[in-house]
Amino acid sequence: MEYFQENIRLGEVFVQLLAFLIVFFTLRKFAWKPLTSVLKARRERIEHEWTGIEQMKAEVARLEKEYKEHLQKIDEEARVKMQEAIQEGRRVAREIQEKARGEFQTSLEKTRANIEIEFEKARIELRREVAKLSLQVAEKVIREKMDAAHHEKKAMELIEELGKKP
Amino acid sequence: MDQTGHDIAQTAHATAQAVGEAHELPNFLTVLAKLFPENPVFDFLHRWENVVFSLLVIGFIGWRAIAAARTGRFIPKGAQNAWEAVTEGLTSFVTGILGPRGVVHVPFLGTLFIYILFDNWLGLVPFLKSPTSGWSTTIALAIVTIVYVHATGIREQGPLNYAKHMMGSPQGIVGIALAPLMLVINITVDYLAVPLSLSLRLFANISSEDRLLYKFAELNVMYKMLPFFFQLFANVLVIIFSLVQAFVFLLLSTVYISLIMPREDHDQDGKAHEKKAIAIHH
Repeated sequence: MEYFQENIRLGEVFVQLLAFLIVFFTLRKFAWKPLTSVLKARRERIEHEWTGIEQMKAEVARLEKEYKEHLQKIDEEARVKMQEAIQEGRRVAREIQEKARGEFQTSLEKTRANIEIEFEKARIELRREVAKLSLQVAEKVIREKMDAAHHEKKAMELIEELGKKP
Repeated sequence: MDQTGHDIAQTAHATAQAVGEAHELPNFLTVLAKLFPENPVFDFLHRWENVVFSLLVIGFIGWRAIAAARTGRFIPKGAQNAWEAVTEGLTSFVTGILGPRGVVHVPFLGTLFIYILFDNWLGLVPFLKSPTSGWSTTIALAIVTIVYVHATGIREQGPLNYAKHMMGSPQGIVGIALAPLMLVINITVDYLAVPLSLSLRLFANISSEDRLLYKFAELNVMYKMLPFFFQLFANVLVIIFSLVQAFVFLLLSTVYISLIMPREDHDQDGKAHEKKAIAIHH
């Protein structure tokens, strides 16, 4: 009991209790609350920024995907257009060829028709000339009364003469 | 250093001899009271030395903590960094046992831990004394803790549930019949045994540490050189044990709060916390 009385002093217990309460309430108001609020604010800000970064990363990934898809689409369109252009070129070339072939055919037929006409003209002319010559020959024969050998000779001369004519 | 250490040790020894059965190194109030025995102020301060040193610790903690908290920089520096690390560590420790709602108890438990720690370490400074080497100091801390724990219990559970808890949550006729006995046992344990064990453990450990330091200082007066290395070793031990004792006080206080909180409030993984608390308690 003496030991307790020596070591436990109620007055001191009370003052120590009061001292602790003072330091507790003081620190709670002026230290713990500001410190915890600073930590909380920092945690929230970091979380917020982290979420923002994650969202931005997701957005960048989405844009990258979209961009790649867009590029792929452009490539596809370019390929299709190129194919169309090639087809169109081939079609135009074929048309030109067909047209040229048609024109050639027309020209050929026309030329052929012209040649035939010219040939016919020449034949008619020749026939006329032959007829004319025949008349001249007949005239000469009648006029000069020549014998058969003489007729032949004269005929040959006439033919040679005709051959010399341009 | 040797000469100064020797002088201190001699003063300690002399003072110890003068005041009779000394248990610890003399502090400046003991020396002043010895030097001026007729002075009532020094006599008063000497008699209330534990309170004086407690106030010294309170002043120091308050000054440093408030100065650190006041800066409130987003990127902390110096003292703010250290105090934030302590706050973060304590919050993590307390919420690890009590769950997310335990964060409201961080200011009390944190103050308790830091106050006890600096009280314990104060005895290492020459001519100062650990206030926790006095039983009156540790009783005051234990009373505050128990009052806080039970106030938390009443607030969290409600008065009726708290009363049921104190009666051992009786179920059935046997439980109801045993309720008064359980009430007496719980009141005895919670209001008497727990503060007694809390206060006695801290007081006994810290006063033993002070006594150890005193004995090594005494050896230094008697023998040269060799005991000085032992004293260095003892100082390191005292630093570590002081930290351990402050931590034990914090841990037990947290566990008492955990045990008095309603079971469903131990958060989503309450079972894990409960098991952890019981494991720590044992």
